[in-house]
Amino acid sequence: METESALSLESLNIIGPDHYAKNGYPHREWTYLRKHKPVFWCEYPKTDPFWAITKHADIIQISKQPRLFLNGPRLLVFVNEMGLERSPTPPFRHLLDMDPPDHGEYRAVVSRRFTPRGVRPLQPEIENITRQVLDDVTGRDKCDFVLDVSSKIPLAVIAELLGVPHKDWEQLFRWTNETIGGGDPEFQAGTTAQETMDRSRLGLFQYFTDMVVERMKHPANDITSVVANGKVNGQPIPQFEMLSYYFLLVVAGNETTRNATTGGLLAFIEHPDQWQKLKRNPELIDSAVEEIVRWTTPVIQFARTATEDTVIRGQKIKAGESVCLFYPSANRDEEVFEQPFKFDIGRDPNPHIAFGLGEHFCLGANLARLELKVIFSQLAQRLDHAELAGPVERLRSSFVGGIKHMPIRMKMKPAAAAA
Amino acid sequence: MKVVVDQKLCEGNTKCQQTAPEVFEVRDDDKSHLLIDNPPERMREKVKLAAKLCPRQAITVSDD
Repeated sequence: METESALSLESLNIIGPDHYAKNGYPHREWTYLRKHKPVFWCEYPKTDPFWAITKHADIIQISKQPRLFLNGPRLLVFVNEMGLERSPTPPFRHLLDMDPPDHGEYRAVVSRRFTPRGVRPLQPEIENITRQVLDDVTGRDKCDFVLDVSSKIPLAVIAELLGVPHKDWEQLFRWTNETIGGGDPEFQAGTTAQETMDRSRLGLFQYFTDMVVERMKHPANDITSVVANGKVNGQPIPQFEMLSYYFLLVVAGNETTRNATTGGLLAFIEHPDQWQKLKRNPELIDSAVEEIVRWTTPVIQFARTATEDTVIRGQKIKAGESVCLFYPSANRDEEVFEQPFKFDIGRDPNPHIAFGLGEHFCLGANLARLELKVIFSQLAQRLDHAELAGPVERLRSSFVGGIKHMPIRMKMKPAAAAA
Repeated sequence: MKVVVDQKLCEGNTKCQQTAPEVFEVRDDDKSHLLIDNPPERMREKVKLAAKLCPRQAITVSDD
């Protein structure tokens, strides 16, 4: 880490997507802010001003008050660039931008599918999917870990949960890439980021419109059927909210787990002692998963908007102002974690808040944990060697910390030999 | 000490049961249920930790 003297409050930028594409997370800047200005007023070009919140305790305090700090008015901080314009009405309405009491009513429609008990029966299927994906790269000495492994598993899992037939998985994968990565040139199939994101959202909406009609007539044991036939306050879910629900599940179910998986393997490549430790001690898998989630913290930020004047860490926040919660910063907070910049798969306790907390605690957290547990258990058994075979290419986004490509040289054993 | 679990918020993440099994039990409805309404004072630390660790922040502890 460079010396902090090179930084100043006037010049540091923690929201520009180019920084994330080039350097990954701005941990140096966040560390500086935690120390000198943990509640920091940010005014950047093409960005509505916001308070940057970088301390663990402050993000918890805000997250625990979902009626004082709303999601609806401003879901996240984004930079208005490359044709990305904030529309007067959001193009979706789902759990992320709902507030109490609606949020709880909508969330309850599917929440039992995602409890620890709800996800447990999925384990054999996740194991099968993972085994097949790893089988497909066995025998090769190189692969793009993102395209060949980490993107495939969560996609297959969420597609299975939603009951999307296998032939449509590739299309689903394109739409989710374009939705999250609309600001990245690689995924801009249209002329602007906005067009790319609009087209992918409408594609998903149309796809699920057709599926909903079918599932209303013939309900199946999938989440598409649960939402299609679900009730909110005793009424069927309106079409716009229903389609937004699928949109959220597809996108959230894909991007985050993919990036935790990629970032997790990268962490092990950079910390070979921890990789050997996991291989020798498979019982450490649960704490390893928590450390991977803390270390990678795939969701960079969400915003909240204050409904009345309030105070955070002595700083007055006025009604109508936004706070931006930087989760990766909270998960490196020196006041909470011993040696926060050490990747330690045995870390205990590990009170990270990568899944958020309270009203909006990640609905899919138990599913994500199960997927990561299966993936890294199988990798620990089968992956004898892995090293970078080229540069890690990062997503140009200050919302999700994405790795687009990670070429590795590797030696993967067949499943039978591992068993 | 008075403990309340907000049943609308609770999603059966079982952190409370893991932390204070004498007080909380997650049942088949995927909700946490109190085994004791007014836990003894010696359990205060444990119960407060359970409330802190609840991902949904569904547990409130108050003096009574």
